Amino acid sequence: MGKRTVLKKSVTGIRIFSYSVFTFVMIAGLTLAVNITFFILLALQYHQVMPRYIKGEEVIEELTPTQDGYRLSDRMGSQLDEKGQWAMLLDETGRVVWSHGRPEEIGDSYTVSDIARMSRWYLEDYPVYMRVWEDSVMVVAIPRNSMWKYSIEFPISWIEYFKRIWYWMLLFDFLWILTLAVVFTRRWSKTREQARIEWIAGISHDTRTPLAVALGYADALESGGRLSGEERQKAAVIRHQCMVMKELIEDLNLTSRLEYSMQALRMEEVHPAAVLREVAAAFLDDAGEGTLEIEMDPDRQAEGIVLMADRQLLVRALRNLFHNSLRHSEQTDTTVIRLGLRDEKRFCRILFADNGIGYSDEMLRQLNGRKSRQPIQNIRGLGIVCRIVQAHGGQTVFGNGAQGGSFCEMRFRKRRKKVSYRDNTSLQHYTID
Amino acid sequence: MNLHEHKIMIVDDEPALRRMVREFLQEEGFGQVVTAGSCREAEQVFRREHPHLILLDVMLPDGDGFMLLQKLHTESEVPVIFLSARDEDENRLRGLGLGADDYVTKPFLPRELLLRVGAVLKRVYRIRDNADEKKVIQLGDCVADLRSGVIRRKNRPECGEKKEREPEAGKESGRENSPEEVQTTEVTLTAKEYAILEKLAANRGQIVTIDALCEAVWQDGSYGYENTLIVHIRRLREKLEQDASRPKHLLTVRGLGYKLV
Repeated sequence: MGKRTVLKKSVTGIRIFSYSVFTFVMIAGLTLAVNITFFILLALQYHQVMPRYIKGEEVIEELTPTQDGYRLSDRMGSQLDEKGQWAMLLDETGRVVWSHGRPEEIGDSYTVSDIARMSRWYLEDYPVYMRVWEDSVMVVAIPRNSMWKYSIEFPISWIEYFKRIWYWMLLFDFLWILTLAVVFTRRWSKTREQARIEWIAGISHDTRTPLAVALGYADALESGGRLSGEERQKAAVIRHQCMVMKELIEDLNLTSRLEYSMQALRMEEVHPAAVLREVAAAFLDDAGEGTLEIEMDPDRQAEGIVLMADRQLLVRALRNLFHNSLRHSEQTDTTVIRLGLRDEKRFCRILFADNGIGYSDEMLRQLNGRKSRQPIQNIRGLGIVCRIVQAHGGQTVFGNGAQGGSFCEMRFRKRRKKVSYRDNTSLQHYTID
Repeated sequence: MNLHEHKIMIVDDEPALRRMVREFLQEEGFGQVVTAGSCREAEQVFRREHPHLILLDVMLPDGDGFMLLQKLHTESEVPVIFLSARDEDENRLRGLGLGADDYVTKPFLPRELLLRVGAVLKRVYRIRDNADEKKVIQLGDCVADLRSGVIRRKNRPECGEKKEREPEAGKESGRENSPEEVQTTEVTLTAKEYAILEKLAANRGQIVTIDALCEAVWQDGSYGYENTLIVHIRRLREKLEQDASRPKHLLTVRGLGYKLV
């Protein structure tokens, strides 16, 4: 078994163990929470469930000393009978001097130890309650198996300690429950996000094959010589629209994956000045004569910056900015695009500006992440620019130039990674974090 | 074997796409095109037909193309171009090094697919192209011959350069009424100049960025040779252009790179 296999297995084992511990803690926490709720509910129900028994003091109030001994009111006597209770009065020697409904097995004389025992627990399995009345003791019993009695005691120091910490315990409970809630919510929401991404990916997958057929035939009709000029024009429109749909699908997929951080970034060393030149050159090649002018303005220091980034995504962001500028430029003039690169103390800034119609206030609000008062406008391509930069830990700022046109500033935080790798240049390597 | 004599197999579960790609390949001149709609069928067709190239869809009804590729590669090192319908596949294709020769994401333009098919076949089966013709570049009255690495100019004799007298082109075609002979100057390209010119010629009419030229000449993926590049470009212009300070063929695209027109 190779080293890698062993490592892989142990990593898998740790992962399974972590999941098990997590599951255990979750179940224990949930059980505790359920129990606490149950006990709270039980306490709330206590008074409704607990039968109302007659206490010793109530009997004493209805007991009148007479010449023959004692006399209980008829009302109290019938109430005791009704509830299955009985009562007796012991004098200072422990002898029964009065009783009502006393069962036969209950004796008529009690020692001090008998009285001490029954005061805590039971008398012949009858739960009893005692009340001192002058020199006598009133004993009132309730039916057998109707009450559980146990004496509980705590050291005062413990009570004092509890008084000091009870609010911390409450706070801990609260935080624990909150954590559980957050964890469950996040898991639930992640499942939903995953389902949404998969749904979008599935739809786009299913759409691409029929689109490939439509695009293929439209292109063949357009470039073939069998159609008339007008028909060829129609085929060109179909081909163009297929390409638009292709871009839409790609954008939708990329947006959803970037939104939920599902897009794995292929980080590599990227020379932003070279990327800017590459994208600009491609657009300049494709543009018609005199329709596009590009002004490059990277500062000398920024020329040497090397970033750790996903090259393809950076190219995509720049392409989207170019597309947007070309689409929304004043048709009568040449589109002028200014590209800049700045090396600042903690940031590397890529500047993109054009001489187009600029952004509306509403678009700027949306692009710069402020709350919008109107429904989201169509900022798909520029939205992807924002998400790509954010995925690299950077920031975007969109705005309109003072002299007209619009600008976009992509700011990447840089972190020094290593020294230059060639002696004859002063390259600086940064990684986007 | 001629390029168009190679047999191509299309594996895709969508019959309309199979039919379309087959038609395009046949129109392009590929006479032998076979198709399959599933992994199982693909294996059978592969063993029976022994194709020279496979266009393979990633998602098939009874498995995925990646698995099928691994299976087929145990039997033969046939080149494969993947037809992918998911962006995620691109990551896998790039990241896993599955041994695919290329990939195309659906939807694709037929021209793009045909170009890639041709490129893979030429690369894998080493088919000789008319590349030699492409290596002779006519730039006004100057001819850059990349086969021998020399530039031949008319009417510009220079000190220390090899001079020869060549018959005019018309003479070869039997016109004997022009006895005039044109003086031809031949200058040799240095290795760096050759690499620059080769890169520019390969992308003639398009901008080649400074970075792409540096990469072509120094080939270490590094930067910082811009000033040295400018020197080489100037020397190249002196050899190519009638007036190096007013170039007509090797143009500067300010801030971006150079273009050969």
